[in-house]
Formats: sequence, C-alpha cells, structure tokens
Amino acid sequence: MAKIMNKKDYKGKITSIKNVALNTYEMKISSDLDNAMCGQFISILCPNKTLRRPFSIADFDKENKILTVLFKLRGEGTQYLKSLKENDTIQFMAPLGNTFKLENKNCLLVGAGIGIAPMLFLKKEMNKKGIKNYLISGFKEENEIIYGSDENVVGGSVLDNLEDLIKQKNIEVIYSCAPTIVLQKIAQLAQKLSIKSYIAMERVMACSIGVCRGCVIKIKKNNEIIYKSVCQDGPVFEGCEVVWD
Amino acid sequence: MGLENLKTTLINPKTNNSLTLKTPIIGASGTYGYVDEYENFIDLNCLGAISTKGITLEKRPGNSGDRIFEVQNGMINRIGLENVGIHAFLEEKLPKLIEKKIDFLLNIAGSTTEDYEKLALLANEYNIKAIEVNVSCPNVKQGCLEFGLNPNALFELTKKIRKNYDGFLIVKLSPNTQDIKALATAAEQGGADCISAINTLRGLGIKVDYIANKFIKKSVQGGLSGSCIKPVALYMVNQIKQAVKIPVIAMGGIAKFEDLLEFMAVGADAFQIGTANFINPSICTNLAAQLSNFMDKNNFKDFNELKGAIQND
Repeated sequence: MAKIMNKKDYKGKITSIKNVALNTYEMKISSDLDNAMCGQFISILCPNKTLRRPFSIADFDKENKILTVLFKLRGEGTQYLKSLKENDTIQFMAPLGNTFKLENKNCLLVGAGIGIAPMLFLKKEMNKKGIKNYLISGFKEENEIIYGSDENVVGGSVLDNLEDLIKQKNIEVIYSCAPTIVLQKIAQLAQKLSIKSYIAMERVMACSIGVCRGCVIKIKKNNEIIYKSVCQDGPVFEGCEVVWD
Repeated sequence: MGLENLKTTLINPKTNNSLTLKTPIIGASGTYGYVDEYENFIDLNCLGAISTKGITLEKRPGNSGDRIFEVQNGMINRIGLENVGIHAFLEEKLPKLIEKKIDFLLNIAGSTTEDYEKLALLANEYNIKAIEVNVSCPNVKQGCLEFGLNPNALFELTKKIRKNYDGFLIVKLSPNTQDIKALATAAEQGGADCISAINTLRGLGIKVDYIANKFIKKSVQGGLSGSCIKPVALYMVNQIKQAVKIPVIAMGGIAKFEDLLEFMAVGADAFQIGTANFINPSICTNLAAQLSNFMDKNNFKDFNELKGAIQND
C-alpha cells in the first residue's frame, strides 16, 4: 500500500455537541491537531456536499488537543454537522489561514452573530497575556445570544454606540468578525478615528488552502489593487487595506 | 512507494512523441495552483503529473466579484484565469518544480494566436516536457474558447504551436460544442500528441431569497465541474476516442476508483482530477494507491494490460 499523506487533514472525534442558542451549536473535537491560533479556521468535510465548510476556531485546548467550533444552521452543510453525535468521527483540515496579531494595547473586540466565535478565542488569549480587552457582541434576538462577551447588544446594531464606546474606553485597536457589511463599517470607523482594525473576512471557499483563487477579495497594496485569498492570505486583514466594492 | 505498476507512457502513434508518467493520475489545471503550494498536504512525487494553473503571456488579475458557486454535486467557478504570467512562472515557480523533481504539464492560455506561439516558444526554450493548451476556458472574454470551438481555427492554432514546440503537446478540449469529434480531429491533424477532455461546462448558479418583501438574487455564471458532469465527460471521451488515434487524458467529475474504470472503458489513457481535490487534497494519491492495489490483487502487471483488458472484455 502506498503511503498516503495529507499533512493537514485530520480525523477527529466529537467529544461534545450542544445547542447553545437558537439554531446555534458548539462542537468540541478531539484529534491529533496540536496547534491552532486565534483567527485560524478549520475546513470540515461534509459528505453530502461538494465543498468543505470553513469554521473559525472558537477555542483550542492545547493540553488535551480539543478544538471548539461554533456553528449556526444555515444549509445542508451545517445540517450534517447538527446530525452528528458524541463519539462520531469527522474529517477536517487544520489549522488554516493566518492569525490575529496580538497588540498589547487597549483592545476592543466586536462580534456579530456567529462572528463571535473567533472573538471568544481571541479574548481568552488576550486575557492569558494580560492584554486589556473588551468584547461587545450583537445578536438579533435574546434567544440567539452566545455568552462570553462583556456586553451584548440585542435587537439593534453592535455599531450603534461603537464610536462612543471607543472614545470612552480609549480603544487603540479593534478586532472583529461579523457580516461583511458590519466589518466594512468597523474598518471605516477605525480609519476615521485613526486607530488600527483587524477584521476576519468570510467568503465561499473551494480549496481552502490558497490554490484555487476562488475566495479572493480586493486589497490595496502600494497604490495598486490586488486580489488576496481569504483562506490563505487571510482570513484576518487590516481594515485599512480592504477595498470595499 | 509501491506504485511501480502504474507507470505508463502516452505515445503519439504517428510521430512516437511520448510522455512517461509515474502514474496515470494527473492533478487538473486550476486545482493545484503552481504546484508547490500542495507540498504541505501531500507527497507530490506520488502523482503522475500536475497541470499548472493556466498561464498567460502577461499576468492576469482574474475576475472581480464572487468566483465560486456550489451546486448539487458540483460547483461553478469564474476565476478568470488569474495567474502570474509566463515570465514570473519561469523565474519564480519553475526552478522549484525542477529542484523538487515534480512532473508537470505547463497549461497555457492566450487571447491571440501570437500569445500561444510565444508561450510555446518559451516552453520549448526552457525544455518543458509537456504543455497542455487551454482552448476551452469559458471565463475569459477574449480568445481562448474561440479557438476551442472552431475546428479550422483549432487546426491552424495547433499547427502554429507545434511549429514552435518539440515536447509533448496536449490540447485540452471544451465540451461546449456540437461536434467534439471534429475538434479532436482538428487538434490531431494540427500536430497534437494527445487530447485532454473535458474542460468545464458552461453553467449558471443562482440563489433567490425572499427577504422583507423583496427577492434578493445572487448568481454566478461560469464553468461547471464536479461529479455532476461525469456523464457528459464519459460521452465526450468516447466520441473523441472514435475520432482520433492519439491518446486521451480523461477528466470531468472523477472522484472515486470506479470512475477510473468507467473512463478506461471508453478509452481513457490517463486521468486528470480536478474538483475532487477540493474535497480531499489527497484524492490523487488515494486513487493511485487504489488502482495499484486493484492491479496487484487481480494480477494485471501494468496499466496497459489493465487498459487493454477493460476495453476488450
């Protein structure tokens, strides 16, 4: 038998899967993966679909090699994940993409909906390193809240009082994962206030490892506009470098 | 490695121009980048070859907007031939491929005859063993597919490329035609050593949502690939094999071992794997191992013997 090697493909065992909010699940996976950083994602094979599904890493327990992802039911891919039970096996590629750059400054973390996932991981890492941070998350309804933030905005938009919050807390860097339109507004607000922003982007992906060029976004680089892939060059970009169409 | 029984040689019977492959399984263009990126995932030396991303004379940024749309058992892409251009390829990518001894096909695309001629000349100059001529990309506005759908234009183009290139010349055909036999014949008569088929089918994916009393539409028009196109590919390969004597590299929806046998039954001499790489980056090596094991178990001493047996039974 030929030696078959895929250095980033893992078979994991689900150690727990639970409903944490409306249509929202937390899944913990045990595998041989021994390293994952905040901002990175995993790409799960869904046998009923052509393409793998990318999920931000919401936590990684290095000692026990347990990975946490959060997912919201959207389509057939997430329906498959929801159908899984404890001890079931899943196949995924990890760790993929770049990471959030941790700055020892006054940090504001902004999550919206399921975008809270990588923010929770980031908050934990910042707390470990003693970086001052404040996580604010927005949800449409009370029953959709995924807990773990310092403040939840329900109903309205997480953007509503953001500028005041930034000034009041002397924020120097913003980190966010949210729907594209929210990220755009955060990046623009950060630019207006002359502070740095790091945003985790989302795009439909095919290969998830940077070869197919299917998930590219426009990036400003030395007065030129180039395409960068969300899966490999990202998912984290500096807000000021993204070109919003 | 245990894959020795898979070694195969594609031969143009007219000229004896040939290409020897470690295994008949090749990674399709556009799914392996410029090849070296896959190093983190698989042992590239287990592959027969890899077809590079389509390379044009000048670099191309590719299309803006959504480029990928998933459909039932397949996907639609409109990447738009994003690539670094031939000069950057030769300077930055080629040395790595040579150093790592990775077998590859240089996939080339152009918008004019001159583009293809220049690309072929450079490939010759750099002693590139095999080129795959893309005359079938549905995602670029100019050229490319225009050559691929007109037998006369394809004959003329192939002839000109042949004149500039001594290595193994593969022409990759589009299924978006009424007469694949005429195109295959044109390529063969123009001097192609081999046909690869099929490229993607034209397709459109659309999603319609009804939100707040309004229909929100999102669509992507481009090339359809994946297991949903396999019956079309089987039909096309079968047609091509009836029309030409040169070998045929089959592709279109290959994702499992049984698919290899099915394509061999219609005459495939080698295979390319495309979309299935996205599902499983080790699919090519997995398929090679399965094929090799099947041959061992059933006493087929080499790939040619297996091919003959399937076609003659």
